[in-house]
Amino acid sequence: MSGVAAAALVVALVAVVVLARANRESRVLRSEVHRLRASSTADAASAAACSAGVARLERALEAIPQGVVVCDADGNEVFRNGAAAAFAGARHADALVERAIGDHLSSALAGVPQRRELDLFGPPRRLLVLTSVCLDDGTAVGGAVAVIDDVSERRRLEAVRRDFVANISHELKTPVGALGLLAETIAAEPDGAVNNRLAQRMTGEAFRVARLIDDLLDLSSIEAEETAVHEPVAVHAVVTEAVNRVRPIAESRKIDIDVSGVARRHTLRGDRRQLVSAVGNLLENACKYSDLGSSVEVSSKVQAGWVEITVFDHGIGIPESDLERVFERFYRVDRARSRGTGGTGLGLAIVRHVATNHQGEVQVRSGEGVGSTFTLRLPTGTGAIPSQPLPPPVAGATAVGSPEPPVLAAPSTGTTREEKTA
Amino acid sequence: MEDIRKSFHHDLDLIRDDIVRLASMVTEALGKATIALLDGDLQTANEIIQGDDVLDTLSLDIEERCYQLLALQQPMATDLRALVAALRMVAEIERSGDLVSNIMKAARRMYGAELDPKVRGLITRLGQEVHRLFRLSIDAYVDRNDGLAAALDDMDDTVDALHADYIQSIFESHETSAMQLQTAVQLALVGRYYERIADHGVNIAERVRYMVTGWLPEHTGAARLAAQNARSEMLSVAVEVAQGGEEAADGTADGRGA
Repeated sequence: MSGVAAAALVVALVAVVVLARANRESRVLRSEVHRLRASSTADAASAAACSAGVARLERALEAIPQGVVVCDADGNEVFRNGAAAAFAGARHADALVERAIGDHLSSALAGVPQRRELDLFGPPRRLLVLTSVCLDDGTAVGGAVAVIDDVSERRRLEAVRRDFVANISHELKTPVGALGLLAETIAAEPDGAVNNRLAQRMTGEAFRVARLIDDLLDLSSIEAEETAVHEPVAVHAVVTEAVNRVRPIAESRKIDIDVSGVARRHTLRGDRRQLVSAVGNLLENACKYSDLGSSVEVSSKVQAGWVEITVFDHGIGIPESDLERVFERFYRVDRARSRGTGGTGLGLAIVRHVATNHQGEVQVRSGEGVGSTFTLRLPTGTGAIPSQPLPPPVAGATAVGSPEPPVLAAPSTGTTREEKTA
Repeated sequence: MEDIRKSFHHDLDLIRDDIVRLASMVTEALGKATIALLDGDLQTANEIIQGDDVLDTLSLDIEERCYQLLALQQPMATDLRALVAALRMVAEIERSGDLVSNIMKAARRMYGAELDPKVRGLITRLGQEVHRLFRLSIDAYVDRNDGLAAALDDMDDTVDALHADYIQSIFESHETSAMQLQTAVQLALVGRYYERIADHGVNIAERVRYMVTGWLPEHTGAARLAAQNARSEMLSVAVEVAQGGEEAADGTADGRGA
């Protein structure tokens, strides 16, 4: 994640440098062109070279991801690159951006360069930073430039990083602090019955820390697993094992887990342990955030080389504004409630990592008070589905379940992994 | 003369751009308002309430310019309809902006209240649906799309149905859990505000239809009344004719008898 942020930063820096240089050079070149055109003895060839230079710089401005709008000294627009073109004559949120660009350019011409953030609801929700600078060559104002930069992704990553550190400290500190306090109380408490109760509480808190550490280890091992095992796994076996794992929670909340939608013949290539952990986490959440006595449904389907495992509940749902953040480590929608359920805040992060490890993805749809649907989409892998008649060699390889994946599968996963890390 | 007309059309374009901008401010505020309401985000609530002054200023400015153009240019046909529609639309948009502020004021009043997921879910959907409808009404305006404008009336039925569900869920929530009466009342008002914003969206769409085709929904009612009047008039004429005929028949009969 920090790599992406750093990359974004580098892109921004490069862009700024390019932009600054482009501005300077285009100004120089433009004044050069004017001078040449004005002089009656202008050499046609060098003028042509200059205009070719200007054209090149305009193409460069065209290529950068930020929006750039340039106006002359009278405030007439003389250049607008592709990224800024969408704002011209626009409606809705973009109409407000266009207006802000105009305001910025005129204030820059008046000698007041501006920088302003625009928080737009959209959709899509965006955070734009508008900067305007006056272009003068020391003697006269030659125009102004406004730059529109979309910093939504950068800000999101900053928030993720900031929250992660704050949240992990909090998650570790709470039970450890409680342990300390409980131990102190026990030391000072003569009554055996009270001591007993306190000791039970201590056990509970110790369990919580242990579970948190287990989950963290689980997550880091999944993250670190460069060469995940890719063996043929039956989807229904994964689901059954995951259901067995969450049975105690489901029974205590009288929740019926319906697995009739899981077809018996679907298989995929992957790491069985990880897949069970992912489906188990989805089921655990589904049970925890459903009302007593409600039901959770699991289904699977195969479509064009992808297996989709869907876990559907009728629970409290996830607020719209939290939907995209629920897969972050330790992110909690409602702190009080989720800690009460005994979760560690890592469940969905594990699910997402398992999905990524399998070159798949996890999607969520949710409505508050309606329920949530989590879909784990995983490629079936180059190996084939055993229910279909297969040519002998491949069938032999999959049936024996050799530790070495078939040669066909290895390069394809290898290249995608390299692309991902690159 | 040519120049005057050119600048007149330029002025008309500027008015259209400003109406689009005015509406954008409202749609933006509306989208943010729903999230602020659910998150109990007082800062955004205050920003939106304060932002209403900007809306008022711009709407006054647009209105003023419309009057000037009407007085100085004496436009006709399409131009006249565009200006008259603009005048009416500014009022609708400005009022919608006020309603968004009202939602935020309600959010301030019920700050800290716990809402159950069903109510929250319905607020989200109501907010999304109204936001979409309002946005589409402006799309219809910019694209001069009378078909889209006509379709918005059906979308409003969805909003009304959602609103009814929402009110029901407030009752349920109030009965089953510990939702305070104050909160319930504020929530009911919020629902009403959303529903009214959707109505304003439909009104905007009607003005768009008027601008493009010259048709107004009131025309249907007026036509119905006219038809009714014509019918009763015809009926009375028919009665008269019939009576006259009878008299005439009597007369002939008398004549024959005589």
